[in-house]
Amino acid sequence: MHLAFPSRKSSNPPHYPIRYSRFPTLRRSRAKTIGIGILAAVVLIWVLARLVGSSDGIPPGTPPVVIVTVVDEENYPAGYIQTIKENRIEYAKKHGYATFFPTANDYDLKGAPRSWARVPAVRHAMSNSSSTYFWYLDQNSLIMNPDVDIETHIMNPKKLESMMIKGQPIVPPDSVIKTWPHLKGDQAQLVLTQDAEGLAAGSFIVRRGDWGKFFLDTWYDPLYRSYNFQKADTHALEHIVQWHPTILAKLALIPQRTIDAANKAYAPQGTGAYIEGDFVIRFAGCEQVGRDCVKEAGPFLKQWRTIFDSK
Amino acid sequence: MKERTRSILNTDCYESPRSRRPSTPPSIRVQSLITATPDWPSALLVLRSRPGALQDLPVFVCGGVNIQEASGIDTESSPSRTRQILPPIPGTPSMPASLSRSPSPKPGGGWASPGLTSHYGETGSSSSGKSYQGVNGSSVTWESAKAKSEGVHGGYPSFSTQNKGFFNRHMRTLSSSLPRFNMGPERSFAEKEKLGRGRWMPRDGSRLGKLRIMASRVSRKMRLRILAVLGVILMIILFYTTPLHYYWRRAKHLGGGKKFVIILAANQGGGVMEWKGPREWAIERDSVRNKRKYANRWGYELEIVDMSTKKRYAHEWRESWEKVDTIRNCLRKYPDADWFWWLDLNTFVMEPSYSLQSHIFNDLSKNTYRDINDYNPLNITHPFPSDHLDPVSASPVGDGKPGSISLIVPQDCGGFNLGSFFIKRGAWTDRLLDIWWDPVMYEQKHMEWEHKEQDALEYLYTNQPWVRPQTAFIPQRMINSFPPGACSENGNDTRIHYNEKDRDFAVNMAGCEWGRDCWGEMYNYRELSNYLNRNPWELFKEELVAVAWFKLTGQKVRL
Repeated sequence: MHLAFPSRKSSNPPHYPIRYSRFPTLRRSRAKTIGIGILAAVVLIWVLARLVGSSDGIPPGTPPVVIVTVVDEENYPAGYIQTIKENRIEYAKKHGYATFFPTANDYDLKGAPRSWARVPAVRHAMSNSSSTYFWYLDQNSLIMNPDVDIETHIMNPKKLESMMIKGQPIVPPDSVIKTWPHLKGDQAQLVLTQDAEGLAAGSFIVRRGDWGKFFLDTWYDPLYRSYNFQKADTHALEHIVQWHPTILAKLALIPQRTIDAANKAYAPQGTGAYIEGDFVIRFAGCEQVGRDCVKEAGPFLKQWRTIFDSK
Repeated sequence: MKERTRSILNTDCYESPRSRRPSTPPSIRVQSLITATPDWPSALLVLRSRPGALQDLPVFVCGGVNIQEASGIDTESSPSRTRQILPPIPGTPSMPASLSRSPSPKPGGGWASPGLTSHYGETGSSSSGKSYQGVNGSSVTWESAKAKSEGVHGGYPSFSTQNKGFFNRHMRTLSSSLPRFNMGPERSFAEKEKLGRGRWMPRDGSRLGKLRIMASRVSRKMRLRILAVLGVILMIILFYTTPLHYYWRRAKHLGGGKKFVIILAANQGGGVMEWKGPREWAIERDSVRNKRKYANRWGYELEIVDMSTKKRYAHEWRESWEKVDTIRNCLRKYPDADWFWWLDLNTFVMEPSYSLQSHIFNDLSKNTYRDINDYNPLNITHPFPSDHLDPVSASPVGDGKPGSISLIVPQDCGGFNLGSFFIKRGAWTDRLLDIWWDPVMYEQKHMEWEHKEQDALEYLYTNQPWVRPQTAFIPQRMINSFPPGACSENGNDTRIHYNEKDRDFAVNMAGCEWGRDCWGEMYNYRELSNYLNRNPWELFKEELVAVAWFKLTGQKVRL
């Protein structure tokens, strides 16, 4: 529209100053306050989220480690089993860990050897507890050094990284499949040792998580159980580690004596044999025909108590 | 009127052929002056009339001088009225409606006689634009007024002041014969000659001029709004006509098309096993074209993989588990992608207008189901029959969050169907792809597992609890409708078979290579898809024109 003259101003000017902004609350002075308020709220939420989220949904007071031992009360004297349990419980008490002692009969193995029970046992413990580490320790073994604790002496990423054996053939003499050379300490989900015959499934630590469930479920697959591996679950473990890179990539091999020292009498070439002060002694293979676990464990059954009491 | 004029003029005038024009409009007001100066023997008739009226009057030529015949009756009959109403207008040559003034003897000069100015032809009129110069000593000349008025009109004349060629001129003469609005006698000639006044503006203005006037009447605010709307419409058109929308749909954070990869398996079982005939080539061509069009439309990635049987592995048994390796390769090849849609070659995307996002992924929890008990042809016990599992693994729906779904599988009448399924990048998928093929399982089961990896997946789902929480099922007809030939043992099943009324998304001609006609089915579904997805122009032609033609002539036409 074209007008000859500019429009007239009103002769009656308003009594209040003209507001130029459409949003009265967004004045400069107020905008500053609002901005600071939003920032403060974000920071507060972040801090709260950090405080709550750091626990990762784990309720406070959860033991960091659960020691799982499948006990065979049918084939072993009750006293022996009792001592074994006490050994775990004493150690757990010292560090605030939990223990879990299921029996092989608790799980439907569908005719597979009893040793398979360790796999569902760990899975069972994992579903019941929010702990970070699950340490499976065979029944025929004893904790000999109560000062060693799992989180700092074994699972601490730096310590683990310094300990883990990289590029080691999975099956000792000359397996083509070797442990991952690039594994970082904090990425390891499964920690176990190797004895002269191969992987030692008598003492292993699994971290809680999806990978752990996947690993245990896979290991426990019915087709492995029914396959008649010569050494049942141990060979099944070797099989899945060698055939499935997702498992191999999370596996850390550590020196045998750290969590799985062998009895000197039965350690060939003396590697990994128990030396005074080692964390654990395991009487591997004592369940074979012609050997007696209770007898082999005999001297240590008393010794662990004196060590525990002295410390 | 003619008689009266003739009485004024002398008798040797003859009527010019121009007088045979159609009769003059009734309202024309003419002032006539007859000059009879001694050295100007001929009679001169000065006409004052509205422009254009001149041509309508009969023209008499007397003694070599062209005399415009005129009738002054109107003015003469009511001179007082004219004088009363006429206000003095500044800038106009003051011309009282009296006959007292004598025009200049100079032809075309002298005092203002705007009525004689024809805008439509200088040659045809007795007066020209020059005659206005220096009129009456007034400071405001015709030119200055004209220039001023042109300035007012934004530099464009509101009507054409010059005869700008043939068309203009003749348009004018044609329209001037039409009936006109009666301006009434009270208006003086002088006022009437104000540009644009006393006329029907729309009549005189060109079409563009009319638009201009309309636009000028719209308020500034409204004009801005209209402009904004037009701008938005223009941008939408530009968005869809240029490749812009393709890049938009592809972009990771906009359309998200890059997050989807369609893996199309070509040459399944081909290569060493069998030769490809013309039908197989045609199937492959159609299927690939269909997926390529679909992928391009939505900005997805398309990976066509050669599944022909080759001795690719050191351990030969692994053949036909290539699906796993192919998906793994794609995971590496498309690092931006999240979801991978596996499609067999014998599939056809029937509704390319459905995007995967809108069809499935925007509402994953609604479009999929976790609890296999909803439809369980395999009778898998669910949740996993074991009491040593964590709550999520033991739950029938996993954690229930759509974000945890990593595998979306349809189920047909016989169980899982891997002819069309989705898998999502992630640690879970890596593990599944890793465990999918295992030599120990294979060794024990390869005789049973007729469908190879499909059976293996069913086995894993049944026996390994970790698989279930991240697996979801999708109603088969969402992504994998079957033709009537497949799963036909129990007749047509609304859960399984394609229905064009529901506009199912994709068809999988599963098992067509076993005794059915793959190419025939592919061809039929291709044509059906084209028919269902006709564009508006095709719909118009086929649903309106062809039908109307058929009704009129009884002939069917194909347009």
